[in-house]
Amino acid sequence: MAIRANPRLVEELEHYGAEDVAKCYHCGNCSAVCPFSREPFLFPRKSMRYLQMGLEEKLLGNLEPWLCYYCGECSEECPREAEPGETMMSMRRWLTSRYDFTGISKLFYRSWKAELAAILLVALLTGAGFLLFGFRWGGGHLGVYAGEGAFLTTGAVHVFDWILGCVLAAFLGINCARMWWFSIGKDRTLRIPPLAYLRQAFLLPVHFFTQKRYAECGKKRPWAIHLALMLSYTTMLVLIMFFLHAMHSERTVWAAHGFGYLATIGLLGTSIYALRGRIRKEETHYKHSHETDWIFLILLVFVAGTGILQNVLYRVFHLDVAANVVYVVHMMGVVPMLGLEVPFSKWAHLAYRPLAMYFSELQAEAIRERERAVAAAGAPLPA
Amino acid sequence: MEDRRIGVYVCNCGTNIAKVVDCDAVSDFAKKLPGVAVARSYKYMCSNPGQEMIIQDIRELSLDRVVVAACSPRMHEPTFRKALQTAGINPYFLEMANIREQCSWVHDDARAATDKALALAHAAVRRVVHHEPLEKRFVDMCPATLVLGGGIAGLTAALELSDAGQPVFLVEKDDHLGGNLARVDLTAPYLDSARDMLADRIRRVLESPKIEVLLRSTLQSLSGFVGNFRAEIRVGADGARTVDVGSVLVATGFREFDARRIEHYGYGRLPNVVTSFELERMLREGRILTRGGRVPKYFAMIHCVGSRNPEYHGYCSRVCCMTALKYGHEIKSALPGAYVYDLYIDMHAFGKGCEDFYRRTAEMKTMFLMYAKGTTPEIVPSGPDDDCEMLIKVHEVLSGEEIEVPADLVVLMVGMEAREDAADVAHLVSISQDKDGWFIESHPKLDPVATTTEGVFIAGTCQAPKGIPGSVAQAEAAAARILGKISRGKIEVDAVFAEVDETRCSGCRMCNELCPYAAIEYDAATKRSRVISAVCKACGCCVAACPSGAIQGRHFTDRQIFSQIEGVLEWASSQG
Amino acid sequence: MGFEPRIVGFLCNWCSYTGADLAGTARIHYAPNVRVIRVMCSARVDPTFVVKALAEGADGVLICGCHPGDCHYSEGNYKAMRRFPLLGRLLRDYGIEEDRVRLEWVSASEGKRFAEIVDDMTERVRRLGPSRVKTLLEADRVER
Repeated sequence: MAIRANPRLVEELEHYGAEDVAKCYHCGNCSAVCPFSREPFLFPRKSMRYLQMGLEEKLLGNLEPWLCYYCGECSEECPREAEPGETMMSMRRWLTSRYDFTGISKLFYRSWKAELAAILLVALLTGAGFLLFGFRWGGGHLGVYAGEGAFLTTGAVHVFDWILGCVLAAFLGINCARMWWFSIGKDRTLRIPPLAYLRQAFLLPVHFFTQKRYAECGKKRPWAIHLALMLSYTTMLVLIMFFLHAMHSERTVWAAHGFGYLATIGLLGTSIYALRGRIRKEETHYKHSHETDWIFLILLVFVAGTGILQNVLYRVFHLDVAANVVYVVHMMGVVPMLGLEVPFSKWAHLAYRPLAMYFSELQAEAIRERERAVAAAGAPLPA
Repeated sequence: MEDRRIGVYVCNCGTNIAKVVDCDAVSDFAKKLPGVAVARSYKYMCSNPGQEMIIQDIRELSLDRVVVAACSPRMHEPTFRKALQTAGINPYFLEMANIREQCSWVHDDARAATDKALALAHAAVRRVVHHEPLEKRFVDMCPATLVLGGGIAGLTAALELSDAGQPVFLVEKDDHLGGNLARVDLTAPYLDSARDMLADRIRRVLESPKIEVLLRSTLQSLSGFVGNFRAEIRVGADGARTVDVGSVLVATGFREFDARRIEHYGYGRLPNVVTSFELERMLREGRILTRGGRVPKYFAMIHCVGSRNPEYHGYCSRVCCMTALKYGHEIKSALPGAYVYDLYIDMHAFGKGCEDFYRRTAEMKTMFLMYAKGTTPEIVPSGPDDDCEMLIKVHEVLSGEEIEVPADLVVLMVGMEAREDAADVAHLVSISQDKDGWFIESHPKLDPVATTTEGVFIAGTCQAPKGIPGSVAQAEAAAARILGKISRGKIEVDAVFAEVDETRCSGCRMCNELCPYAAIEYDAATKRSRVISAVCKACGCCVAACPSGAIQGRHFTDRQIFSQIEGVLEWASSQG
Repeated sequence: MGFEPRIVGFLCNWCSYTGADLAGTARIHYAPNVRVIRVMCSARVDPTFVVKALAEGADGVLICGCHPGDCHYSEGNYKAMRRFPLLGRLLRDYGIEEDRVRLEWVSASEGKRFAEIVDDMTERVRRLGPSRVKTLLEADRVER
């Protein structure tokens, strides 16, 4: 059965940042130099081809964009400046929008104004909600930051965090399930035994915490930066979700705060490094920036900055009122960042990438198995 | 003949000959042959010291015949003839034995190869004894030129010649000038207008007092030889002209491949499958519509229609790839919302500015779909839900997928082929065609516009598929060659031709009919035939046919060839 | 040592001789049994050349010209083609095997073909064995 080519898809992907894919003439240099590319996933050339031809179904089931960490070697070697690295990035954005069942992601990627408006709206609602809570329902005082009579009580914020977390997990979970279905779920020719899912499940935490494939790139710095950012972020998430009481306590709990300061340094350092890189455009993977990249980084700096600021205001200068105001402002950043960015935009890759490593290993195994079976039967490969 | 003083020179050609053939054995053998005064073996006979050696020997040892056993005479016969001339003896006193191309390079058994070299050298010595002194002749050069074909090549050559003040007769079959280029809109890769290019040249040709343009005209016959041709031309329905010219330039162009021959593309049957030339017409008229009058949205260019396919033509037509890219630009400029695909085998973008043009076309988001050589894309009807006229199915090589693309207008990039009358033209002007029907040049690299018939040149697409720059360059090159001949005023004719011994001629006239050049005339008064030496091309057909043995071909006399036969065999039998 | 046939080749200057040269340029090896004599056109090959070669002891004669339609002299090869069956008939009448004399078309680009023809012809003549024409003629001469 022939697959219908769609000449419009290239235009569609322009919204996601694929500006130069049409220049590619398939010399294959990109796949040859890619340190991450290996059988049976020889990217990025073939993904570039699917995109040029508009083979939407093929692209949707394609995990290869997630196997790419954008070290940029392909773009540097490309004789036609077709920017395969950036094209893979744009395909990740497009895939994110297609995994998302709500259509919100698509809206954000196609219109930065919509994304910004949504962020502002959620921020204002959050701010209004917390102020309302603080002044009306919480029974605390603006002059108290922590402990008895605090403006925002730890318990309430903790409950709010968990509700938010569960909603996010639900959205992200559904999107991850869709990713599974598109890539390996619906392909009838692939037989993946349930046991294999278990056997390979260790890949998820391994890739999540080490990003070891990124380290295969000749350039180690991008991997180190990315890992530091991710670990800082995760540390902070764990601290907030499980140790909020310690974080928000009157006295400094070094067991928690120590990690908090480290994570903050990590977050601020890496995100400022990334911002500076995107402004300078010296490194290949920072040369092209989609609007969502800027929003993401600015939000991150904002959240990390307000997070540490309230801590400093309270713990160093003992300015409870100012600390509380910054706390509310901090939440106005946290909620849209987690609520909008994690399931619908760039943050989502923290789930999709390790999942792709996991799925692709299952897929590769199944493909090898299929080839063995075909070779044994002596029959031609199924079309 | 024992009084001949022959010098035999055996070339080692570095090791090219010496590594298989025992060159010293050949020269030692030659020394003992009757009439041989000296025989030497040397590293490079064609080098200056090598030639000097021969010249010195001729002078000092009073040699009167020379044999060089070396490479093919097609390679260095002129070189050594010149050496003989320099030494002061007739250049035709030379004979070469081909012991490289036809011996050392094709045999690895040293003994057998040396044997063969001995035989060939022996034959050459036997033959050269009978060589006669021959003199080159000169004839007048008529300055007028006959140009066949009023396309871009013919127009260009006519202008070059007339600008140099020489008369030109420009013969065009159609009722207008411009040829195939007149059917083209813009040209790749710079997108300049073909019309502008042509209009200027045509105006200058029509205004030139030196050019006589004969429209609706065809060449009927061509007689004579270089510098002295006479052409019979049919003008219009019943006019006729006879013109005397010194040179002929054939620039008769190409015809497009008949797309009907590839049945499954449906050309002529499917309404919206058109040829590239039909699209050119739409572009020139500024109306691109489907047969149903709709503005097409999806355009598919199918490359290599009739080209690079052993079933039709194995060669590449060279211009279609860039022409197809040009359509992409023209279509997107006329219909910005249109989608353009190129279904190609390989993208041949070798010309100046072409790779860049290919890149720019890609940047316009033209979809390039590669199909495998030997396969063809398939055109199928679209379904009821499709917003297109047809679908094209193709096994796309770069993705390895079977895909289908929507199409409203399918453009078949028809290749070039030799014109239907190319064989007639070739016959009229005595030039040859290759297996594809293209006229054959004298040498594919070093003599690309001359032919094996002296005074007849070829330019443009009648020689092989090529673009405008190539056609123009060839036309200018041919004009330069013709002007060179004109400027010398006289032309040298080879001293080799046939002669009738009138005392032996019986007047049977058999040779008159056989001669392909009508170079033999019959004198009714003396009842003898006579060869017009300037017209004779020395093929020797009449020599072999003459029942009285009255005709002899100079430099290929029976005597010389018999000696050669004896030479190769006597040697062999003495070894056998 | 076995019988090595002696074959005389008449090659037209424009196609076949050039084709034979090309075999050399391309280093296509073939049997060393053919001794080439260059003529301008296959039409120049007088039947007496063939007879002379056989009489002088050749075991075979190979004539090569341009492919039909490709003759440098328009149609010389057609004349050679028409002349050839007459020659064949004559040789047959004298009891000379047909395979000993052969007419082939070799273009300037067919070096490989030339090599194949030479190899094939050498093989065929080798199978026929030595020509007896020369010995018979000499015996005849002695008798008289």
